[in-house]
Amino acid sequence: MSDPRLARLGELVVNYSLGLQPGKVLRIDAPPVAAPLAIEVYRAALAAGAHPYVDLQPERLPELLLAEANDEQLDYVSPIAKAEVELVDAIVTIWSESNTRALTHADPERHQRLIAASQQLAKRRWQRMSAGELGWLGVLFPTEAHAQDAQMSLAEYERFVFRACHVEEPGDPVAHWHAVREELGSRAETLAEARELHIVGPGTDLKLGVEGRRWQAADGRYNMPDGEVYTSPLETLTEGEISFAFPALFHGREVTGIRLRFEGGTVVEAEASRGREYLDAMLEMDEGARRLGEVAFGLNYEIDRFTQNTLFDEKIGGTMHVALGSSFEDLGGLNESVLHWDLVCDLREDGEVYADGELVWRAGHFLESAAPARV
Amino acid sequence: MSERLRRLAEVLVGYSGGVKPGDLTVVEGTMNVEPLLEELYAAVLRAGGHPVVRCTAELEVVRLGEGSDEQVEWLTPAEWQDIELADVWIMVEAPSNTKALSGIDPERQSRMQRARIKWRERYLERALSGELRWVLTAYPTNAAAQDAEMSLAEYENFIYAAAFLDDGDPVTRWRAFADELQRVLEFLSSKEELRFVAAGTDLTFAVGGDRTWAAADGHENFPDGEVFTAPLDDSAQGEISFTFPAVFHGRQVDDVRLRFHEGEVVEATASSGEDFLQEMVGLDEGARRVGELAFGLNEAVRVFTRNILFDEKIGGTMHLALGAAYPECGGTNRSGLHWDMICDLRSGGEVYADGELVYRDGRFLTRS
Repeated sequence: MSDPRLARLGELVVNYSLGLQPGKVLRIDAPPVAAPLAIEVYRAALAAGAHPYVDLQPERLPELLLAEANDEQLDYVSPIAKAEVELVDAIVTIWSESNTRALTHADPERHQRLIAASQQLAKRRWQRMSAGELGWLGVLFPTEAHAQDAQMSLAEYERFVFRACHVEEPGDPVAHWHAVREELGSRAETLAEARELHIVGPGTDLKLGVEGRRWQAADGRYNMPDGEVYTSPLETLTEGEISFAFPALFHGREVTGIRLRFEGGTVVEAEASRGREYLDAMLEMDEGARRLGEVAFGLNYEIDRFTQNTLFDEKIGGTMHVALGSSFEDLGGLNESVLHWDLVCDLREDGEVYADGELVWRAGHFLESAAPARV
Repeated sequence: MSERLRRLAEVLVGYSGGVKPGDLTVVEGTMNVEPLLEELYAAVLRAGGHPVVRCTAELEVVRLGEGSDEQVEWLTPAEWQDIELADVWIMVEAPSNTKALSGIDPERQSRMQRARIKWRERYLERALSGELRWVLTAYPTNAAAQDAEMSLAEYENFIYAAAFLDDGDPVTRWRAFADELQRVLEFLSSKEELRFVAAGTDLTFAVGGDRTWAAADGHENFPDGEVFTAPLDDSAQGEISFTFPAVFHGRQVDDVRLRFHEGEVVEATASSGEDFLQEMVGLDEGARRVGELAFGLNEAVRVFTRNILFDEKIGGTMHLALGAAYPECGGTNRSGLHWDMICDLRSGGEVYADGELVYRDGRFLTRS
C-alpha cells in the first residue's frame, strides 16, 4: 500500500535536507491530499529520534476566508501560529494541490491582503532560518492536478517528480545529493567573481549587476527537488528587457507572454498576452515589487520540461529565472517586498550569458563544463 | 449531507461554542472530517471569530508503534498553544478504523495517557475559569457506523437525530432540553446518597458535601444529554456489572465487573480484554477511583453504538468513569485515565436516593 519512493523521499528530506537531530521539534505542513508523504516524513523523523507533528490545512480554507472574512479577519494572524514559529526547530512544507486554479477568480486585492498577512509569519520564519535557528525544506507531493498542469498522467508525473528527487529507483539518493552539493558549490564560487551578467536570448537583452553579492548553491537543503545557483542582484543596476517563454504562475494565477523592461533596476514597462491585470496588481503591491530580488541558473537536467510548477520550472536544466520582489538578505540583497515571484526564461535553444563580457553559457550549459549536474 | 453539515456547524459554533466576534477558535479534527472542518471554519468566520484549523492524520498507531518512550510522552507545541490561547476549541472525532490500536502494547497507551495529565488539567482549569469553551463532537464515518452495526446512511441519521438537527430550529430545541436537564440536576442536588440496583449491580455512592451536579446540555459534548457529578472519592461501595462493552482508545472490554470498597476498585474482571482493563486500572493512583457518576438522558439516543460520546447519553442508562474527575463538579480525583463505562437501567434497573426509590426502568419517578 505505501509507496517505497515516498519512504525514500521521507528519509532523504529528514536525513539529508534537514539533517534532523534527536530531540528536535519538526512540524510537517501539508494539505490532507499529501498525507501519504507527510506520514513518511513523520515516520523518518521518529526514526531519527526527533519530535515530529503534522499540520494538515484543508485546501479550501483560503477560498472560504476570501469569501466570508471581513478585513479584520483577513488581516488576522493567530497568536498560536506566532508562538509555534518560535517553538519549532524545523518545518517541512509539502506543497500539493487538488486543483491548482481554485483561486483564479478570487478578488486580487483581497487575495493580496491575505498574502500580506501571511507574510508576517513568513518573515519571522526567514529571520529564524537566517539565524540558523530554524531548518526548513519545501517538497512536492504529486497529485492529479499537478499532473494535469504538466500534461501527463499521474503515473508519468510521479516518475518525473521522483526522478528529479533521485528517489525513483532504489539506491543512494543521499550520495547523489552530496555530489550535487559539491558541483553547485564550486559553480557558485566561480560566479561570485563576476561583476555583471548580460543575458541574451529571444526577446531578451538584460544586464544585471551582481558585484559583491554571494551566490548560493540550491542543493536540496531547502527544496526537493533542487538544482540551481542564485543570488540577489544589485537593486539599481538592472537594465534592458527580458521575455518569459513559459507562463508565469503565482498563487493559482497564470500570466502568459510576460515582457518586462527595466531602467535603473525598476520595471518601467510590463506587458502580458494574458493576465495583464494580475501582473499589474502584483507590480503595484509595494515599492520593492518592481525590482528584482533574485537571478538564477536552473541546473537540474532531470527536469527537462515545463510543468507549470515553479518548484520544478525554475530548476529546469538550461534555463534562467529572475524573481520580482524580496531578495535574500543573507546573500547581500537589500530589496524588501511581500512579493517573491519567480519568472522562468528558457535559454536552452539559443540563449547566451556573458559574465563581465565573456561568454560563459550557451544553449543551456556553462561552457567550461559540458557535463550536466548528475551522477 | 452538506446542508446537514452546515446546520451542524452553525449549532456547534453558535450554541455549543458560543463564538463571539474576535474569539480565537481552534477547530480540530482528522483529515477524514475535512468537509465539516470547512463548514466550521466558514461558520466561525460568519460569527466574526478567528478560526484556526488543527487537522492531522491518524498518526497514533505510528507513534505508539514506532516511537520511543520519550516520543510517545511528548506533546506538540500546537497542543499546548491551542489550549493556552484559544477562546473556543471545537474537536471533531472521526476514526477511519476504531480498532487500529488493537495490536499496540497497552503499556504504551498508559504511558501516553499519563503524559497528558498536566495538559488535560490545564485545559479543564481554563474551562472552569471561563477562559476556554470547548466542545467535542463526532462526524459519521464508516468505521463508526460499522461499530454501531449500521450503514453509513443509517448512522448519519442516528447522529443528526441525536443532535436534533432535523428539528426546524435546533438551537431552540437544545435550549428547551437544557431546561429539562436543569430540573433533573436540581432534584439530584438535594440528595446525599445514591444506590444503583440492577442485575449484577448494587452500588452506593455519596454525592453530597462539596460535590455538585452539572448538566451536559450540548456545550462540552455535542450531541449531549446527561447530568453528572464527581462522587466523594472514598464512597463507592459494592459492585457493578456493565451491560455494554467498555471501549477505550480502540480497545473493547466485554462484561466488565467492578467491585469497590471505600471508593477503590478491589476486583476487576471481564470476559474479554481483562489484561487491558487491569493495565488501565493500574495506570496510576486515581485510576482505581470513580471520577464521574452520571445519568444518560437523551431519549433520541436509544441504541448502543460503541462510541462513548453517544453511549453515555443513552436515555435510561447510568455511567461511571474510572479516573480523572471534573473540577466543575468539585471533583478532586487526579488520573491520566478517564474511562466511561455504561450500565443499562431500562429493564429492571432501580435507583434509590437517600433510601427512597426515585428511578425505575430508565426513568425518574418524580421530577419536581
